Amino acid sequence: MGQEEDLELYRSRLLESLNGRSSRSLRNASDPIQVYINERRVGELEGRGIGATLQVQCVDHIDTVQLRTEEGILLGGLAAPEQGFRTDRLRLSVDTIELCVHNTAQGGTLSALFSPAPSFWGRVWKGIVDVTDRLTARRPDTAIAYGGAYGMRTVAFTQALLAIAVVGLVADRATIWMTPEPTPSPVVQTASLPASPPAETARLEQQLDEVARMQAKIGEALASQQNGIVQLHQAVAKLSSTQESVASSVVMVKEEVKEEVKEELEKRLEAVGRETDRTTRHVANKGRIEQEQLEAAIHSLTADNDRLSKEVAGLEENNQSLKAKLQTAVANVPKSADPSPERLLKMADSMQGNQQPFLFWVTFSEGTSQESIDQWVNGMKGHKGALNEGWQEVRIIPPPVPPDRFLEQIRGEKIIKAARINQ
Amino acid sequence: MQLTGMQNTLGKSQSMSDRTATVSRLEEVVSTSEEFDRIVSQALPMLLDRATGYTKRFLRETGQWNDDIEHEKFALRWGAEYLERFLVCGRSEVPCRPLFLFDSLVAKQHSKPEPFCYHPDLLRPLGRFVDGLVARAVVSRDALIAIYHHSYGWGPGEVIAVTGLNGLESQRIYKNFRRWRDTGWQRTMDEMGMTKAELAELGNQQQRHRQRFNSEAEQLIRVAQAHYRKSEPDHYPCLSRSQWGEMFTQGYGCDYRIWHLALCLDCMQTAWGLGSSGSAVGEKPRLELQVRP
Repeated sequence: MGQEEDLELYRSRLLESLNGRSSRSLRNASDPIQVYINERRVGELEGRGIGATLQVQCVDHIDTVQLRTEEGILLGGLAAPEQGFRTDRLRLSVDTIELCVHNTAQGGTLSALFSPAPSFWGRVWKGIVDVTDRLTARRPDTAIAYGGAYGMRTVAFTQALLAIAVVGLVADRATIWMTPEPTPSPVVQTASLPASPPAETARLEQQLDEVARMQAKIGEALASQQNGIVQLHQAVAKLSSTQESVASSVVMVKEEVKEEVKEELEKRLEAVGRETDRTTRHVANKGRIEQEQLEAAIHSLTADNDRLSKEVAGLEENNQSLKAKLQTAVANVPKSADPSPERLLKMADSMQGNQQPFLFWVTFSEGTSQESIDQWVNGMKGHKGALNEGWQEVRIIPPPVPPDRFLEQIRGEKIIKAARINQ
Repeated sequence: MQLTGMQNTLGKSQSMSDRTATVSRLEEVVSTSEEFDRIVSQALPMLLDRATGYTKRFLRETGQWNDDIEHEKFALRWGAEYLERFLVCGRSEVPCRPLFLFDSLVAKQHSKPEPFCYHPDLLRPLGRFVDGLVARAVVSRDALIAIYHHSYGWGPGEVIAVTGLNGLESQRIYKNFRRWRDTGWQRTMDEMGMTKAELAELGNQQQRHRQRFNSEAEQLIRVAQAHYRKSEPDHYPCLSRSQWGEMFTQGYGCDYRIWHLALCLDCMQTAWGLGSSGSAVGEKPRLELQVRP
């Protein structure tokens, strides 16, 4: 039972708190206002009697915006749509906060503008402006014609003029108050006015004239100042609309640029694709031709190789038969009655068929006997041929070394004077 | 007796009839913010019960419900939280049907991952106190600064020294402390459903079993901080000592220091001594939970 009462008490307290949130004093004017986006703190707005702004850009969509005091009391907020704008104007006692949320596919943007309530002097000034506004309402076209800079100059000039007028009036009053005569009572003063000297009267009239002129100038200045303010308002409005149009243009341009870039990229990709295809085809054709050529070469090489193999086999067969013939001939040598070199050469000729004897010419050193010459020829297993101008033809079985080397060898022998192959 | 019974029956019947009328008014389209405020303010009890019922159902469906007063209070607290947000944000949605808008707002909250910080130990008085404190710190700078006091027993001067704040920020810290003592602490306790008896019992535990009390509190505050620190800006992660040192030396990141060090026991240990401008510092701070402001 105690728990139920406790719970009911808690519920009542929560309801009281919810009920009282609009009635209690919510905020100390000097405290900053905490700004939360999607229940996450993103910054604060200064609330010290001056205008303040806060711009926040989020990657995610902005679902909710909340404004809280430093105590955590929820002052206001808004729920934003998934796409597009939502603005709201929140009144916090006398101040106002304008919230603007813009959600796009790329994220959300919050713009918060704190506008404090105008001060006493601000309200007085506004009253003056309203009065002059009514005065100048008859000349709206003229007001539009001037620029914002002129308006600012007018404001400054008017303020300076007003300050001079006030200083002049104060100085005048001070001069009167500081005169040594006791200040007469209003009644006495009224009575004594006719008695004042003509010079004093003239001076007062002159001062009154000056004040009247000043007043007229102030009126004019106020009128021109109002013009300036109107121009400023218009300029601000124009600027806002320009900004909006620029923002929308930027978005459009971004979209267009995106589209163009996309198209360009697609075109380039297509061209690159075509070029790549062409190159690939060319390379493939070339490769195929080269492959075919290579295959043909391999084919012909294989055929040549086969032919050569057959020839080698034939040669080997021939060689075998020659070897057999040679062995037979060697076996028949003892039976032969004439073992002379000529016969041997003839036998070799008959055995080897096409094998020719090696023929060369030599001259012998002076004093070499015929016997030594014959002995040398027999040593070479050759036989002598014709004799021509001192050169003796000699025929032998082809030497195992190349002819030049053979000639070098025999030139080194004592009885040989010179040796050559041709006559 | 018969008369009383009849009166009760009549009262119940009247109540049912009022409730039906309220619901049908909330189901109709409201066109202006003023109309929204008027109709919703007349239906607060019904809306609170509705949000509480949704929260109970969510807890049941996620296996987090238990039939006890702690869970009832938890559901009530979050029901009130949703209702407050609805009161503030719903008026910007006009024209709308308030009842459907309210249902969608609660459903949207419950469709988020971990819509609230639930832990069975956080439903007990000590846990509720810690949870309420840290949860409040997320939406209230006063409560955030008060965490330094409730966690370590520091006053404004020590907070300023530890966080290395300048003159202007220092003045603000004093104001935060004063407001918390004046109204903030009591409001938070009320919103968490902490009774005087529970607070007195916490005080007793603190006196009698200080070590155990602080040890339990540290475990709970870590659970709560881990959940609520998600409300910090994304660019406020934990830092190394050298990174903290750079921030303190160069004097930037006042908000970073104030927020993160209040909501992270570990970083407080890491950054300990950096804000005191080289003056002698004592032992690293340990959690000494303070119940009173």
